[in-house]
Amino acid sequence: MKQAISLASFFLLLLGAVSHSFAAPMGFKNSWMLMGDFSKTYQEFGLNYATTANDAFGISASAMQTDNSVSKQQNLEAVYTRKLARWNLPEAQANIWFIGGLGSTTGNTFTGSKAMASPGIQVDYETTRFYSMASARVYTAQGATSKITTARLGASFYEADYDEPQPWVVIEARRMTFVCKQYEFTPMVRVIHKRYFVEAGANLSGQLRFNFMYNY
Amino acid sequence: MKQLNIIIAIALMSLSQMALASAKVTVNGMVCSFCAQGIEKSISKMDETKAVFVDLKNKVVIVEAKEGKTLNEKLISQEIIDSGYDVVKIETIPQTVAQFRTQQKDKK
Repeated sequence: MKQAISLASFFLLLLGAVSHSFAAPMGFKNSWMLMGDFSKTYQEFGLNYATTANDAFGISASAMQTDNSVSKQQNLEAVYTRKLARWNLPEAQANIWFIGGLGSTTGNTFTGSKAMASPGIQVDYETTRFYSMASARVYTAQGATSKITTARLGASFYEADYDEPQPWVVIEARRMTFVCKQYEFTPMVRVIHKRYFVEAGANLSGQLRFNFMYNY
Repeated sequence: MKQLNIIIAIALMSLSQMALASAKVTVNGMVCSFCAQGIEKSISKMDETKAVFVDLKNKVVIVEAKEGKTLNEKLISQEIIDSGYDVVKIETIPQTVAQFRTQQKDKK
């Protein structure tokens, strides 16, 4: 029975999420975007559908734990993503995004399940060779509120055609107040090719990190 | 002789129409393959489209028409705008998508 519950939880996790730490948090109109973010202290899995070029609706499941694995929290939410503004420049693109979730949270630092809201904002600027992003999101529930703030800088090795894989080097600074009060720094290698995007690296403590996006 | 001239003129006009088969759209804001994918998908769905090529380096989209069809520049422009990008200009070029790609590769 316990195994069945774990399996069900795992599949719920596989059905979730909008991530806050990638390039655009949604795809193009009428497209699905599948996203995942995995490390020892944070795991997120998500799926959303863009109904317009500006709006996407999806579900998200995420789990956080402290470095020593003592405190744990899981979130399951419906997420709305809205492109608030875009600037299309000859060689670049800049965006402001709203990401907001409504759902529930459970954890071992409190009993039962609590209603949760998770408003957030992301700003980004990118060219074909340079990428920058900053985001902030609050996971707020009665007596169990935490924040995730992220900043990223990336540069690609070379400019690529649409049908060629493009490798990047990305450095991320992320602070998850549930996990630690300090920022963690994670250098990663990113490859973007047509429909997929993968990132792999390790933070300065040696904890591995893997992210992916698939747009279809 | 007059009839022959008319036939040659019609043939030349047809040839020139066949040659002017593609639209070259200059687009602002197109920076990654995810952007390219959205534009490619939406324009490929249009009835008159034979082939689409998104040239990220030069920030242009090449749209080739099916034989006997005429590209609707307004619709192409609207699809790109609906995908979230800005159209700077649309011009007609004599190359097909394959020819344009070959030309770009030769430039490298």
